[in-house]
Amino acid sequence: MSAGRTFLIVGAAIGLACASAIIVVAIAKLRRGRVAARSRAMLAPYRHSLITMVSGEDDDGQAREALSAVPAPIWVCLRPSVVAFLPKVRGLPADNLGELMRAHGEIDEATRRLTSRSAVRRARAAYLLGLVRDPASAALVLPLLSDHVADVRLVAARALGTIGDPAAASGILDALRTQNGQIGLPAWVAAEALLAMGPGIGPVLQIGLASKDPAVRNVCAKVAGHGTYLSTVPQLRVLLATDSDGDVRVSSAVALGRVGGAHDAAILLRHTDASEPTVLRRTCATALGDLGQRESLEALAGLLADDDRRLAERAADSLVRIGTEGIARLREAAVTTPQGPSARAAGCALELAGLRGQLAVSLTGS
Amino acid sequence: MMIQFDFLWGLARVVSAIMSVVAGPVLIYFLVVNTSLLMLMGLAGWEFVRQNRRKSYAGSEQMAASQLGQGVSVVVPAHNEEVVIVTSVQALLALRFGRHEVIVVDDGSTDATFERLRGAFDLVPVRREIPGDVTTRGAVIDVHVPRDGRTRLVLVRKKNSGRSDSINVGINASIESLVVFIDADSILEPDALISVTKPFADDPTRVVATGGVIRAINGCKVVDGRMVEVKLGKPWLVRIQVVEYLRAFMLGRSGWSRFGALILISGAFGMFRRDVLVEVGGLDPDSIGEDFELVMRIHRHMIDNGRDYRVQFVAEPVSWTEVPVTATVLRSQRKRWHRGLWETLWKYRGMLLNPRYGRVGLVAIPYYWTFELIAPFLELAGFVLVVLGFALGVVSTPYALMFMAVAYGYATLVTLVAMAIEELSFHKYRRWRDLGAILMAALLENLGYRQATAWWRLEGWWASLRGKKPVWGTMTRQGFGDDSPARASLSGDV
Repeated sequence: MSAGRTFLIVGAAIGLACASAIIVVAIAKLRRGRVAARSRAMLAPYRHSLITMVSGEDDDGQAREALSAVPAPIWVCLRPSVVAFLPKVRGLPADNLGELMRAHGEIDEATRRLTSRSAVRRARAAYLLGLVRDPASAALVLPLLSDHVADVRLVAARALGTIGDPAAASGILDALRTQNGQIGLPAWVAAEALLAMGPGIGPVLQIGLASKDPAVRNVCAKVAGHGTYLSTVPQLRVLLATDSDGDVRVSSAVALGRVGGAHDAAILLRHTDASEPTVLRRTCATALGDLGQRESLEALAGLLADDDRRLAERAADSLVRIGTEGIARLREAAVTTPQGPSARAAGCALELAGLRGQLAVSLTGS
Repeated sequence: MMIQFDFLWGLARVVSAIMSVVAGPVLIYFLVVNTSLLMLMGLAGWEFVRQNRRKSYAGSEQMAASQLGQGVSVVVPAHNEEVVIVTSVQALLALRFGRHEVIVVDDGSTDATFERLRGAFDLVPVRREIPGDVTTRGAVIDVHVPRDGRTRLVLVRKKNSGRSDSINVGINASIESLVVFIDADSILEPDALISVTKPFADDPTRVVATGGVIRAINGCKVVDGRMVEVKLGKPWLVRIQVVEYLRAFMLGRSGWSRFGALILISGAFGMFRRDVLVEVGGLDPDSIGEDFELVMRIHRHMIDNGRDYRVQFVAEPVSWTEVPVTATVLRSQRKRWHRGLWETLWKYRGMLLNPRYGRVGLVAIPYYWTFELIAPFLELAGFVLVVLGFALGVVSTPYALMFMAVAYGYATLVTLVAMAIEELSFHKYRRWRDLGAILMAALLENLGYRQATAWWRLEGWWASLRGKKPVWGTMTRQGFGDDSPARASLSGDV
């Protein structure tokens, strides 16, 4: 083949491809504009009813009735707006939107799609069932926690948290484990889901804190602290003192700061020792502030001079949060050796406390 | 007359001799480079489809409301940013996110940057200590916080020591587990933090860094630090850069991310795990390509320590930043970028084709050596040889046309495909006239712009080889609002 002929073929191919790309751009833009205009026109008569429903002013149920009766082509346009409102509303408006979805067969469809071959469809179905918060859906979504696609497991966990059925708690904990190369649920997602399930998960937490899997123990410790599960305190003490996993010890320290009692100050103080890992020391210093026990004043004041300046900063902040006596210790440290490290940490904490109005409160309190 | 003829005859023989050797390889080179870009775009397109399908159930609302998720420290290095700093900080504080703080590091500004901030946020000095987790050079002068004691803003004033060192100071001052670097003159979309932290939230143990896409803000309408209307800037130089950013930054990096070998995250919008930043020692203040150098160092560190990790790119939403509007500034920017590219690639040459570094060592780094570093030399050499050879009659018309088709026609096709992917996925430019201008820019890019930038890039490389002292150059900016006065900054472009 001659060079000229080759050029003609190559040139024509490139030219054709360029023209195709331009046509794709033009068609995509035209189509988008038309679809948007058509949707706007179709939705216009129903916009008021939708707003009435989501604002909770549909006392006579007329808006819901009107929206339940919209024909399928309009519902296709209306549906995204309803789904977008669902996570933003609570109470009656949320229930009404859920009923609207049910009236249009969305719940049945989503239930069917939970077993779809498409991961995206399974995830969307789980997400929708979570948004509607129907307790009956929990058992249907639960199997997706062991789905082979990470996204689906994640969405299922969130959906179960939104539904709030404590019966799903152990399933969430099981999904934390990394198995067969599939990474487990992120700790924070699992913890949020468990917290959303309320006090009914207490027994599951106690079992989880004794789990062999550090990821499970870690999440349970997080939840124990944030959810104020007092019954877990003895286990948290043991985990803080003996667990082989650093994250579990840190989460236990945070939890003890939130739900521990007076004698936990000594336990937390032990773990601010220089021989402990930096992260644990800092966490315990903060937890002592959360605990707010005067038994820790001396030790916290001692930490103000620590070489780890972030630890000193946290210790100073904890002294502020303990209240009048803590602030007195800081003032003492600030004047004893004005140029020393203790004075620097104390001075900064006092300044910040002053800006937040904590000094005034403290003085009033005393 | 005779001497001139002899010279031309000699030149023709030289060009002919060179062309007889390189004619085929030059065509193949351009064919391969454009095809590889097309493949990256295919990967990016695949990734965008995946992201768009996930969008409806991605859980952005939960992330925005979460108190258990990871917090973010937004580090803003600022040197003489009086024009934009207040608007920028207000916009950053207002970003939608569960828990974030803003740390402005004033790098020895000689203008009113500090006074503007102090006035706007009622800042007062505190004796806060900045830990030395990462080694820094510039001495900290003082630390300020808002008088209300609750607004999560910290201003660290320090002696001038450059952008990288300022970011290192910001890393030390940060208290959250994720750190994002943002230039003071960048505008973030309201959900930008949610999007760029999403990979960390979904896979917190493995994701160590994410990069967000950068787009050109020139010509757009910004009100109170918020992007309200996306429009294409007027000068063709800007329009061509919009096309370039789209192709190279958004689609190119998305493609590398999808392939699992992203080695460059823009310093203007990159998020990192703080513990990893501390482990690797923060940014290298001596590097002129500090963002590239940092990501390469992270790759090497993680692989050398046998850790499972991910570096990902997030294509949406975005950070908007001003691109150069004059050839002088553009030249300075491209010289610096290429110099940074060369110095970093050379520094990490041990990773090149090293199987230990997997896709990064075997694919991404060789690609950057072959199609990024050497590209300007080959592009210019090919162009000059073909044009000269054609003029001297030693290059046939079909070959010259074939060269133009493969080098520039194919490149235009790549850009048009990028434009099509953008229109099908994010469609940021809503006006028909903007699309027309982008289309025109895709064609005009080949007429002088590519050759000029290739030359500037070579200048940067050459300056490095000669050991010339690197300079950041001065970037004249327009500010966010139409009425803002122009100003100069020593940092801040991508």
